[in-house]
Amino acid sequence: MSHSNDTPLTDICLLLEGTWPYVRGGVSSWIHQMILGLPDLTFSVMFIGGQREAYAERRYAIPANVLHIEEVFLEDATHLSESRAAPRAADEQQLSDLYRFLHHPEQPAVELGERLLASVAQGQLTLDDVLRSRASWATLSGGYREHCADPSFVNYFWTLRSMQSPLLMLAEASRRMPRARVLHAISTGYAGMLGCILKQRWNCAYLLSEHGIYTKERKIDLAQASWIAESSGQALNGSLDAGSGYIRTLWVRFFERIGQLTYNSADQIIALYDGNRQRQIKDGADPARTQVIPNGIDLPQWSAALEARAPGIAPVVGLIGRVVPIKDVKTFLRAMRGVISAMPEAEGWIVGPEEEDPEYVSECRSLMASLGLEGKVHFLGFQRIQDILPQLGLMVLTSISEAQPLVILEAWAAGTPVVSSDVGSCRELIEGGSAEDRDLGSAGKVVAIADPQATCAAILELLRSPASWQAAQASGLLRVTRYYTEALMLKRYRELYQTAMENC
Amino acid sequence: MAGIGFELRKILSRDSYTATLHAYVYAGLISSGPWVLSIVSVMLVGIISLGLLLPDVLVRQFLVTVTYLMATSLILTGGLQLFFTRFVSDRLFERRFEQILPNLLGVLLLVTLAAGFLGTLTLALLFDQPLIYRLLVLANFVVLCNLWLVIIFLSGMKAYNRILLVMLVGYTLMVVSAYLLSFLQMPGLLLALLIGHSTLLFLFLYDILREYRAEKLIAFDFLERRQVFLSLLATGFFYNLGIWIDKFMFWFNPGTSGQVIGPLRASILYDLPIFIAYLAIIPGMAVFLVRIETDFAEWYDRLFRAIRDGETLQHIGQLKTEMTLSIRQGLLEICKVQGLTAVLLYLFAPRLLDWLGISSYYLPLFYIDLVGVSIQVVFMALLNVFFYLDKRTVVLELCVLFAVLNAGLTLLSQYLGPSFFGYGFTLSLLVCVLLGLHRLSSALEDLEYDTFMLSR
Repeated sequence: MSHSNDTPLTDICLLLEGTWPYVRGGVSSWIHQMILGLPDLTFSVMFIGGQREAYAERRYAIPANVLHIEEVFLEDATHLSESRAAPRAADEQQLSDLYRFLHHPEQPAVELGERLLASVAQGQLTLDDVLRSRASWATLSGGYREHCADPSFVNYFWTLRSMQSPLLMLAEASRRMPRARVLHAISTGYAGMLGCILKQRWNCAYLLSEHGIYTKERKIDLAQASWIAESSGQALNGSLDAGSGYIRTLWVRFFERIGQLTYNSADQIIALYDGNRQRQIKDGADPARTQVIPNGIDLPQWSAALEARAPGIAPVVGLIGRVVPIKDVKTFLRAMRGVISAMPEAEGWIVGPEEEDPEYVSECRSLMASLGLEGKVHFLGFQRIQDILPQLGLMVLTSISEAQPLVILEAWAAGTPVVSSDVGSCRELIEGGSAEDRDLGSAGKVVAIADPQATCAAILELLRSPASWQAAQASGLLRVTRYYTEALMLKRYRELYQTAMENC
Repeated sequence: MAGIGFELRKILSRDSYTATLHAYVYAGLISSGPWVLSIVSVMLVGIISLGLLLPDVLVRQFLVTVTYLMATSLILTGGLQLFFTRFVSDRLFERRFEQILPNLLGVLLLVTLAAGFLGTLTLALLFDQPLIYRLLVLANFVVLCNLWLVIIFLSGMKAYNRILLVMLVGYTLMVVSAYLLSFLQMPGLLLALLIGHSTLLFLFLYDILREYRAEKLIAFDFLERRQVFLSLLATGFFYNLGIWIDKFMFWFNPGTSGQVIGPLRASILYDLPIFIAYLAIIPGMAVFLVRIETDFAEWYDRLFRAIRDGETLQHIGQLKTEMTLSIRQGLLEICKVQGLTAVLLYLFAPRLLDWLGISSYYLPLFYIDLVGVSIQVVFMALLNVFFYLDKRTVVLELCVLFAVLNAGLTLLSQYLGPSFFGYGFTLSLLVCVLLGLHRLSSALEDLEYDTFMLSR
């Protein structure tokens, strides 16, 4: 057990980055569901945010079994230190380790990461060392001369600063965190990094759950980022855009390296579905430590919805989701054109809030008009989906990106077969993952993304063939009951937590 | 001092001997100007009054009074000068021009009140001279204190011809009125001094008022802690104290001084050589201003622009080397010119003193003072470079050291006897310059590290 004397305050320490309790969303509601679903366990939370002002209001009530919430904001890391005292002579080896691990073009050795973590966790390497010591300057400017292809030194300097200092600041902030028996990070990135540091210090089990793939998402952000030039320096002119290539590379490398550190350090690496698990393995996670725990829904809540369903196949096709580009509502509309041409009695419903992207909403409406679908397709806005799903003959998902959409599980629970684009875990959900699962049959159809013809064909095939519709409804119900209930998810996490607590 | 650098570069860019000479003359007048010119004009007043057959003792009383006025006003306002210069240049950098004028008036009001109060107190308690003498001394003191603050703005003003004109008018007026008012004896001379300096003060003030717009009459933003650097107050004080402390020690050592007027004492032995020696710094100061404000300031600007605009570290390093080179060349040139001046004066000193009617008894002291004031030019150049590099603590350290060493070594020289007089002053400057060079060397060495890792 640990070398530290203080007894753990809580069972589980959750490490959260930019989610619960401040931001609504899939991950946050999952966290809330977990905390409420395991009332006999106690939780502490370390919340990591970017800028303090972005997190003004909590969106979730804090359950009674959350005993401690610690908040830390990355913006504080680069605030200039007030200290006027001469900086101490920092350990050159540690600072050069820091550079080598995070920024050196060559992939660092595992031992290097461990050595670095140890010196950070034990507080041998401090934020002040990184910000002000001569050794830090020496490695930083040496690294620039050796590797930097971007001409602007000031950009490089601030980029490295804004990478290095949050890590050290997190390490220092984590000292305020009361001990817990188990660490559980809900992403890699800063939260994952914090987990590595705390694991070093507490010497306890460390779980990592990833809903998306943090490193991949950051890479997508970076590919689109216009903020790189602004945030990586106080540089003001436009000449930066041309030179930000290396800066981008540095950021990508940074997130890859801290992701790698988290994969190396975590005892259990949990993905929502197998596709993401493969991705984690590809990114360096040890396959033996990976596993899949899908999200689940609270099935008893849906029995009423299932009973409310009228017999027969309602000729109503619904898309449930926010009206935003990522849901690709336009493909749904184009598919509906074909469906209604073949089946004039059919209707299309678009159910979901429309505030987020008004421009896209109006584009969709004019597309609807130009396709002559007025009166056939309805925008219903936000609705209680327990009321909507029983009225649908089919639920369609045309998204261009998803992880593991809960709405598919909910559709099944309400007895609605699903046609979905082949994104995230959708194929695994609808057609089954394991051999056992596949034997349950297909709970709908999977089509390529942005393919109205195929979507239309799949919809018509199910709506017009009662036999295959019935089969899809049955296997959907069976699948959600067997694999995707909240109870099952909670049971699996409870078991993981219990094993972890026993081993600590 | 950005304005003067620009003007000097403009003149130098004409690239002719007369233009270069022009630039150096101008720089000499601006940099050593008011201070040295005061010595010259006061001496002129003295010589004129001698010619007018005023009693020797009266002229001597006048000169000593003026010396005390200069010394005390400079020590009193020395801190404020630096402090306020920095305040002004920070506001100029922020382009908040409308703040300059109200704050200048604010600081002048404070200075007037403080100088008036201290002056009144001193004159009332320590002097038993006629009221008219005391009133004129008080007025002169207040005007001088104000003048030292207004002079800050000279180097920033572009109309340098006008500055020269104003100086000419002020000092001519001083000499002429001394001639005309000499029948009033002492009060006449003091009045002439007052007229000269007031003319300078108000004409410069008039120019400044025209140059900066303002939204209110008076402001005291410079008293806000966040906007200023208090250490500069100490730096300016110690610098001026350092310059004068050896003189005061000679004035108040009974063995080396005599009573002149009221509580004012003087040391003929010590004063005359050093004041004449001070005239020798004009060439050095001119070179110093031209070199620092053109070459060095230009490289400095380029260096920090390169840092801000995201140049490569290699390029930043090259610019630093260039800047270091410009400092080295500047110091070297000051040494050359000042050295040459000192050597020439050394050679001609016997004849010069003879011509001025000063006993050759003063020669050894004059020689060592000549060396001392020459080193002082280098010292001032170093301090200026440190101010550019924003090394305020180093400047403070050097100034305190200078004051302490000058006091200590001067005291020692008084014990050792007349042949050591002047060595205290010179040696303390030498030590400070050597230490300053050492500090400068490491400051330049660490420039990038300091700028990136330790700034603010």
